[in-house]
Amino acid sequence: MHLHARHTLALAVLGVSALTLTACAPAETSGGSTSPVSGGTLTYATGDAEPTCLDPHVGGNYPQALVATQYLESLVSLDDTGTAIPWLAESWTESDDGLSWEFTLRDDVEFTDGTPLTSAAIAANVAHVQDPATGSSTGYLALGKVTGVDEVSDSVVRLNLSSPDSALLESLSQPWVAIQSPVALERDQETNCESPVGTGPFVVTAWDRQNSITLDRNENYNSAPADAGEGDGPYLDQIVWRFVPDSATRYAALASGEVDVIDNAQPDTLVAAEKDNALDELDAPRPGASNRIELNSGKAPFDDVRVREAFARSAAVNDGIASLFFGTADRSYSALSSVEALGLSDEDLFTFDADAANDLLDEAGWTERNADGIRTKDGSTLTLTFPVSTNQSIPAEQSLFEQIQATTKEVGFDVVLEPMDLSSWYTALAADDYDLVSAPYTKVGPDVLRILYHSDGITPAPSGYFANHSKVNIPELDDLLTQASQVTDVAERTELYADAQQIILDGYYIVPLFDQQNHYLYRSDVKGLRAIPTVYTPTFAEAWLDR
Amino acid sequence: MTIVAASPTTTRPRASATQWVLARLGGLVVVLWAAATLTFFALRLIPGDPAEALLGGPGSQASEEALETARREFGLDQPLLVQYIAQLGRYVTLDFGTSYSLKQPVTTVIAEQLGGTLVLAALALALAWVLALGVAVWSAQSGRVAAALGSALEVIAVALPHFWLASSLVLLFSTTLGWLPPLSGRSPAGLILPVVTLAIPLAGFLGQVMRESLLDALSSPFVLSARTRGETSAGVIWRHALRHAALPAIGLSGWAFGNLVSGAVVVETIFARPGLGRTLLSAVQARDVPLVTGIVLVVALAYSVVTTLTDVLDRAADPRLRTVVEA
Amino acid sequence: MRRISVVEAVSGAVLLLLLVAAFAPQILAPQNPLAIDPLASFQPPSWAHPLGTDESGRDLYTRIVHGAAPSLLIGVLATVLGVGLGVILGVAGGLGPRWLDTTSTRLVEVLFAFPGLLLALLFIAIAGPGPVTSTVAVGLATAPGYARLVRSQALSVRRSGYVEAAVVLGRGWWSRLGRHVLPNVGTTLFVLATLGVGQSIVWASSLSYLGLGVSPPAAEWGAMLNSGRTYISSFWWMTFFPGLAIVLSAASTTLLGRSLQSRGRAR
Repeated sequence: MHLHARHTLALAVLGVSALTLTACAPAETSGGSTSPVSGGTLTYATGDAEPTCLDPHVGGNYPQALVATQYLESLVSLDDTGTAIPWLAESWTESDDGLSWEFTLRDDVEFTDGTPLTSAAIAANVAHVQDPATGSSTGYLALGKVTGVDEVSDSVVRLNLSSPDSALLESLSQPWVAIQSPVALERDQETNCESPVGTGPFVVTAWDRQNSITLDRNENYNSAPADAGEGDGPYLDQIVWRFVPDSATRYAALASGEVDVIDNAQPDTLVAAEKDNALDELDAPRPGASNRIELNSGKAPFDDVRVREAFARSAAVNDGIASLFFGTADRSYSALSSVEALGLSDEDLFTFDADAANDLLDEAGWTERNADGIRTKDGSTLTLTFPVSTNQSIPAEQSLFEQIQATTKEVGFDVVLEPMDLSSWYTALAADDYDLVSAPYTKVGPDVLRILYHSDGITPAPSGYFANHSKVNIPELDDLLTQASQVTDVAERTELYADAQQIILDGYYIVPLFDQQNHYLYRSDVKGLRAIPTVYTPTFAEAWLDR
Repeated sequence: MTIVAASPTTTRPRASATQWVLARLGGLVVVLWAAATLTFFALRLIPGDPAEALLGGPGSQASEEALETARREFGLDQPLLVQYIAQLGRYVTLDFGTSYSLKQPVTTVIAEQLGGTLVLAALALALAWVLALGVAVWSAQSGRVAAALGSALEVIAVALPHFWLASSLVLLFSTTLGWLPPLSGRSPAGLILPVVTLAIPLAGFLGQVMRESLLDALSSPFVLSARTRGETSAGVIWRHALRHAALPAIGLSGWAFGNLVSGAVVVETIFARPGLGRTLLSAVQARDVPLVTGIVLVVALAYSVVTTLTDVLDRAADPRLRTVVEA
Repeated sequence: MRRISVVEAVSGAVLLLLLVAAFAPQILAPQNPLAIDPLASFQPPSWAHPLGTDESGRDLYTRIVHGAAPSLLIGVLATVLGVGLGVILGVAGGLGPRWLDTTSTRLVEVLFAFPGLLLALLFIAIAGPGPVTSTVAVGLATAPGYARLVRSQALSVRRSGYVEAAVVLGRGWWSRLGRHVLPNVGTTLFVLATLGVGQSIVWASSLSYLGLGVSPPAAEWGAMLNSGRTYISSFWWMTFFPGLAIVLSAASTTLLGRSLQSRGRAR
């Protein structure tokens, strides 16, 4: 039963507060009173895994997005409100039937190998992403509806779609479908992986495996996105991109001045940095899904919604989030990240209520308890397997899962935490060897809901990977999501996604925790640092060193 | 009498030098073969489809055709024994293949990363020796309290895990005191903390072993006679006892090498140093068969070299071992 | 018999305490080691919490006491496994016929050539993480060391007069093993094994660091050391006290083993 009015109001409030929040969010460093100085080398230390290929068309993960932001650019970007703004494309129009989009490209842009940016380049890039030999995962999905590319003229290119795609602009803004030089793409993949050629503010000049990537200034850079301001960058001579997996070392290096910017800053270092006058923070939550626990509704015991609700009601996370994250992360009650304007939040569904949880479990038939206090039914215990990827879940998250384990035990759940490395984790998921899982998914726009909660997402790729970990299979939801992905009218889209999210939350398929944390710490003398409001990777196009 | 010899030298009369060298080489080949075989089958036992590892891991969403192509290209659809023999054949021709995860030839990867680990291990071993010897000698000379203190230090040193030691040293010397940089780039200063981290637990272990045999040697008859001849304590230690103290430690250096490589995995990760240890860890996690096998072979080779060196040193240090006859 | 020295008394007492903690932790720490209290997290040592609390508000003292059993168990079992394997391989090599010697020596060398951590990693990758696999992995990793030692000891003993005499006197192989080889090998082995217990606990904690250790929320010292390491710059007690427990266990077993050995020597 829908209480439309209540939720529409909540949505409106959320929409406004989201706008205000994003407007207030420190996504940009305050402009210094001194003017930019040219020169200098900036050292960036990343805690993410080293990419295996610097071309984000291949595969497509966040570490690739981070570094590719420096040398590749996309057709469009997004501004603070999530609206598409010009980047390599100056303007665009959607056809009346929604089955094609025409983009007019800038005519003054060249790739760093001298090739001009033309519609032929766009065609080559789309072909590259869609070519099975490239092995694209993320980009491939983003361009899922593109059937062909027409080169209308040198600077006008038309993308033909199999059905209307309201998420096309959002998809095109991502680094995983960024535009590379068509000449460079013709080289063999190994070579292109080592030094992709783009239009960005910097160029890859060296890759010292397991150590660092060297990026030099692109002297002919002239293609900043429309919201970049009036700067004259890039000012830096060089960026050294280092791989430092250990978070304590990374922070120590920043504090000592050995590096200038770090990512994946842990909660306690955020608190320490606050007290250090020489360090500043850039808080840039990743778009797409919130950081949530997914409940596998495809098998017992979570095939019963009462058991799922009982779990959600007995997992006390608020105190844990407050203490483990030292106030740097807020509890989320939404399936989407807080930077998503169309996100819906429903706090009442997730209020801690052990009594209600106990009642629900009794109702569901789990009435007996064994000697350890775990509920049993027909001889089997209420055991939940929870594989945890130690590569993806930071220590604070893992501790939070331990706390959930402890509080749900009070009502009779037996959560078994299994820490493992990434490969084993993927294998466990592919083998349906889980009841609970926490898997981040970064994508621009609410279309991520379709990838995560449409029943199509249950079918695995040949590698075994699938995105719909909760095994949500509701025809009504499928329709809503399909419709929403085709409708461009903002009001209609908002309502469709709101209804979809309400179904997901009501069904207790997930327990939302917080935003995908994405904190950057940098030395205060680094000016002009900005996180692009697409996937919130940092750009150094206008950055300079006040030294 | 406590028996302290720890080196696995043979007990037969030593034949000519050439025979010895040939025997050594033969042993080396056997070890390499066995290592390659063990790794091959162990990696095949790990759950998961090796073809996926080729295409970026199980999360890669690769298409069925891509997986099929990969399988055919790399011969993964052949029966296991055929694959094994083919692999051995490749190794004999020194073809170590291409890394699945790094997309570079294995030999290139190893050549790039080997130096880092070797430098780290060599320096750590040297430092461990100096520390162990220093503490053992000092505490042997300076009376009971010093001996107890030295002993306590060694016991504590051995119980320190590398990852904990690394963090504590960074906390102390980088964050708090600011004397040393936490990351080691190209500068020698950056080597100090990683080397110390590796050296301390090893020094504790070597120190204990050295102290044992040093004390033993000091209470033996020939030392007594040296003293009656009027030699000073220091002279006794330096001239006579030390040789005997060093013996077992030399023999253990082979084991120490393996210990250092294990430690290097953790130390290289924490200090973000390029090296084989770190590469090995990510290769195992990525199920990167060619790279893991390549590294194992290199380590086995290095280990054999170290063992041979220690055997040679052993014989040089202990005349008894030069020509050994059945008792 | 010599009087009991101070060192022996202290290490004996510590060991006794550890054993009580392992077998009957409720005597020393009646509270629940798994009881979380998020609002009381990261508390420094105080009257209410003598060793402080961890990131989930759990009392560190209780967790360390209750952690004695899993931590020591891994250490002891892994050492037993390692020593056991080592003795088998070493005796086979040192006392057996030549072909057995060569084979087992080669086997040991191959295992030795694998960095211990790699053996552990491979084994865990195959069998999945957990306390059992950790134990076996650490045992496998440490076995070659013991094997080498046993073998060289066995060789020395074989060369010595005792065994010759036994052979001349017509004593059987088992009797030779039991009376001469094992006791001589035994003392050194015992000392190293006591050292090994501490080492194995440290090894297991390194596995926890790599995310391959025991499952949460188990109060195991190595896992506690690892999770405390994240907060080492702000909350020192979370790493210091589990680390202290590890060092004390390793130290007391080593010292006791050593004094037993010197008693044996003095006899």
